[in-house]
Amino acid sequence: MTTLAKRIVQGGPAGVNVRRYRIIRNIVLVAVTAIAIGGFLIDVPRIQILEHTARNLYFHVPMWFTLMAAVTFSAYHSIRFLQTGNLVRDVRAREAALVGIVFGILGLLTGMVWARFTWYQGTNIWWNFDPKQTMAAVQLLIYGAYFVLRSAIEEPQKRGRIAAVYNLFALVTVPFLLFILPRQAPSLHPGADGNPAFSDFTAPEMRWVLYPAFIAFIGLFWVLYTQRVRFSLIKLRLHGDSE
Amino acid sequence: MIRWILGAWAVFEKDVKLELRSRYAINMILLFVLAALFLVAFSVGQEALTPRIESALLWIVIVFSAALGLGRSFVSEEERGTVLLLLLHTRGDMVYAGKLLFNFLFVLGLNLVAVVTFVVMLGIEVISVSLLLTTIVLGALGLAGATTMLAAIIARTATRGPLLPVLVFPMLIPLLLAVVTATREALPGGEGWAAAGNEMLTLIGFAGVVISASIVLFDYVWYD
Repeated sequence: MTTLAKRIVQGGPAGVNVRRYRIIRNIVLVAVTAIAIGGFLIDVPRIQILEHTARNLYFHVPMWFTLMAAVTFSAYHSIRFLQTGNLVRDVRAREAALVGIVFGILGLLTGMVWARFTWYQGTNIWWNFDPKQTMAAVQLLIYGAYFVLRSAIEEPQKRGRIAAVYNLFALVTVPFLLFILPRQAPSLHPGADGNPAFSDFTAPEMRWVLYPAFIAFIGLFWVLYTQRVRFSLIKLRLHGDSE
Repeated sequence: MIRWILGAWAVFEKDVKLELRSRYAINMILLFVLAALFLVAFSVGQEALTPRIESALLWIVIVFSAALGLGRSFVSEEERGTVLLLLLHTRGDMVYAGKLLFNFLFVLGLNLVAVVTFVVMLGIEVISVSLLLTTIVLGALGLAGATTMLAAIIARTATRGPLLPVLVFPMLIPLLLAVVTATREALPGGEGWAAAGNEMLTLIGFAGVVISASIVLFDYVWYD
């Protein structure tokens, strides 16, 4: 490894603090394992039609939260890139979107499987136009377009600027879905039109797994994201371009 | 302020004159809309459609044609090499305002042609003409607001042309849902204005947010 690359990996103004990274990575590894074990072994109250699928709560909901965290991260770094023109910000916005896509797809799949084998048991319905499901799908489409747009521009500074503009511009239209979608189709999620609120049916013992699961999944996002950022920063320093 | 309006108007006037001289975009979009509507009408045949499907087909044709027609508004400046002249003589927000006005009127005309053709060809009865017209105007405003900005974005890319639909469709989903629902309320079986208030608010809000965001972000795209 060249000294330059070593310096980037081991820290510095734009790099990542490796000791802190290792500590957090180990905590996240333990936490995710504990969530997986606890999620499947700790007893859950049997609610009508949910039964054991209620365990999906520990995985589906944190994934959806992680997507929202990733979107916030990506948008924040896009704004900062437009302010500073520092390519490190562009790398961070891109990698947050990339890792966010992974969690978004997982959240979408767990949600679809959950609905199919509980509410739609015995039917052939996989896609149910649930507002939250559609919003996640739209955000994934936007990120797909974001990466297509990036691949169409050669010069790094220009690519960063245009991509940041698109990232923010497309994002402002997403909240409208919150307003318009619930009128199109009823939601399966708690707290929406007549469904019981989240706190009404969640047994206290489930929260002992659920709340740590939020932290564990966002931690997992952080680990993957910082790995990707370090990798891209090395490429950026060595080639002058991170893609 | 008066200088700003004059500057934006000059950009608009330039676009109108150029368009009337060549009539390339107008003719192309007119034919595209007519051909697409013919395709829809022939594939549907004599089948009776529900108002929901009628309005969905209509707006899908409109959205596709707008994405096709507006894609050129900034690419043409790059191709003619007139970007530098605009940069020298006007500010970014004037260019945006002029282009937005032109694109808005363009989409509005396109919508009117599409709706009239559609109503005549499929024999659709309209119970609330004022609601349908308001939906068309507000829909055109939101559509033009979103595509003008993205047209500026794709003019900066290497491939330019075919990228616009990919970029614009995910953003247009809220707009599409609102216009389709409002159009359905204007057709038989709908409740007219009484049921479309929410959709009208969504359309106004969508256009407002998209245009404000464009004004904030346009300079980052326009200046190199």
